Amino acid sequence: MTAARTAARGVVGRYKLLALVALGAAAVLVGMLMFGNLNRNLVYYLTPDEALAQQADYPDGRRFQLGGLVVDGSVATTPQGVSFTVTSDIGPAGVEVPVTFEGAPAQLFGSDIGVVLEGSWRAGTFTSDTMKVKHDENYQPAEDPAS
Amino acid sequence: MTPLTTAPGPVFGRRLPLVVGVAAAAGVTAAVLSPPDVVQGDLVRLLYVHVPAAWTAFLSYGITFAASLGWLWRRRPGMDRLAAASAEVGVFFTALAIALGSIWGRPTWGVWWTWDARLVTTALMLFIYLGYLALRRATPDPLDRAKRSAVFGVVAFAQVPLVHFSVVWWRTLHQPPSVIRPGGPTMDPSMLLVLLGNAVVFTLLYVLMVRARARMAATEDALDAAQDTHPLAGAAVSAPQLATARSEKTDV
Repeated sequence: MTAARTAARGVVGRYKLLALVALGAAAVLVGMLMFGNLNRNLVYYLTPDEALAQQADYPDGRRFQLGGLVVDGSVATTPQGVSFTVTSDIGPAGVEVPVTFEGAPAQLFGSDIGVVLEGSWRAGTFTSDTMKVKHDENYQPAEDPAS
Repeated sequence: MTPLTTAPGPVFGRRLPLVVGVAAAAGVTAAVLSPPDVVQGDLVRLLYVHVPAAWTAFLSYGITFAASLGWLWRRRPGMDRLAAASAEVGVFFTALAIALGSIWGRPTWGVWWTWDARLVTTALMLFIYLGYLALRRATPDPLDRAKRSAVFGVVAFAQVPLVHFSVVWWRTLHQPPSVIRPGGPTMDPSMLLVLLGNAVVFTLLYVLMVRARARMAATEDALDAAQDTHPLAGAAVSAPQLATARSEKTDV
């Protein structure tokens, strides 16, 4: 009886230990993700104000992703593609970065839409060759008279 | 062991498949008749299957979590079977959500895949629950299997809120939630209604699949219990006996 009980307790103890180790590992991972400097590597794109502030960290030719809204009325076609201005949608308003994009713009590209651009600085202008359109969380029917 | 004493009926049942079929037809009709989006146009219709698939995956893992807790509490074999069936169906719906999202992403974003937090955590969720299924296959003893997978099923559920809040906690290409968010849905009521209707369809489909899978598992368990001995691989082959009489002579 005692042997069986200690055996059972041993099994429970092993599982408790396993669960503790797993929980501990999970807690460390979550803590690192939320508070650690790992966030720098988890940033999917830089906003225009961050890109301007960190211009020294990204010298001409070093690639990063820039995300923001296409300023209404700034889109102009160029021989290589399009040029436009990107403003911040989550950062402070009024900060704008001039962009030249080389290639065919994405299908939904246009004024006032979110974009994530891959490229690098070239003499104060962000030069990009890869564009992703960022759709926002709003959905409206096309023929809605209110919009 | 009830499944062996009653005549085995169709695992999918008789009424529920009909209900699911009619509901799915209504869901598809609603998705086709719904208005096109002002920005995406007809691409918005993919949302009516992609989002319900993702929600159903969350529901599946929620049921796996609850059933795992239930097994740890009461140790009923049915709870273990429900947890396993729900995880299997969850893996199906996760893969479906990723595939449909990819098909939506190509024309909308311009890419099939990107390494943003939502997409990566969703892929991680798929692999974690594939790991759950692998763990079940790797443990032959029913009690050990139930115990280990119940612990796994509880711990793995942490991935679900991680996936849901990934778009809030990190900057992603994927848009933030439109429906399950503070401040109410940011979606036109005509579209929201279609989306919620299709969520109901997917939930019914989930119930149909889980019930069938749990019934099959119950029958398998009953069969296992009815068999006294499990034949081992190679048991049919007898050991070679070469010249028994002579070897006895020489050995002594």
